Amino acid sequence: MIGTIPLTDVLLASAALFAVGLAGALLRSNAIAIFLSIEVMMNAANLALLGYGAASGTLEGQAAVFFVIAIAAAEASVGLAIFVALFRHTETIDVNKIHLLKW
Amino acid sequence: MARIVFDSAAVLTIVFAAVMVLSRHPVKGVLSVVVSFFFLAVAYVLLAAPFIAAIQVIVYAGAILVLFLFVLMLLNIRLEEVETDTRPIQRVLGGGAILLFTILLVTLLSARGAPKAVDQALATPSSGAIEPVARFVFSEYLLPFEALSVLLLAALVGAFVLVSREKRP
Repeated sequence: MIGTIPLTDVLLASAALFAVGLAGALLRSNAIAIFLSIEVMMNAANLALLGYGAASGTLEGQAAVFFVIAIAAAEASVGLAIFVALFRHTETIDVNKIHLLKW
Repeated sequence: MARIVFDSAAVLTIVFAAVMVLSRHPVKGVLSVVVSFFFLAVAYVLLAAPFIAAIQVIVYAGAILVLFLFVLMLLNIRLEEVETDTRPIQRVLGGGAILLFTILLVTLLSARGAPKAVDQALATPSSGAIEPVARFVFSEYLLPFEALSVLLLAALVGAFVLVSREKRP
């Protein structure tokens, strides 16, 4: 596994993955699909962090990604609990049909 | 060699994430994100971070996305309806924002992206091991680590309170 990966490849992959996640978050109307797209964007950020960490030869990137993954677990559990409570209340998780706070 | 493997893993990650964005079936979407995150773990291994790759598979693909699947099957959500006329302006604006964002990112990266290579050979043999990472987290980041355990406990209690049906005073 000897060889080099240019940092530009890592950053381009990260940017493309982030754009895909952004597209999903903006265009989908299912709340769970939007949440999944946010997870994809978070992973794009993780990829960039690890790329810079490997390029600089320090462990800071790996430590940051470790904390991001742990916080993502907490965020996912609370977010999905909110969706379950919302579904009990309104019988849908389509974000176009939930307009309780909209004028 | 490492570059070819990394690039193909990255392309497959992006393709499966795009499958999630484009498919209207929620369970298919979650499963394609699982596959996407597996390929991302392959990319992490090539970036000399096997520990992060392991927790990507165990925590992300194994726990978080399975939680998504549990909730999807618990709620029994039908297919997303095809909506053509409800929010046309938002759709156009969303597409424009994505296009603008992609162009901005690519120009920024091609202008300022460092040509420095992630050198696999340069990395010391111990940089791939778990021990230095653990030593680093438990010395430099000990306080954030403890704060994280409190945060996870708070998330546990919060999720329980949100979904419990009992009337609270």
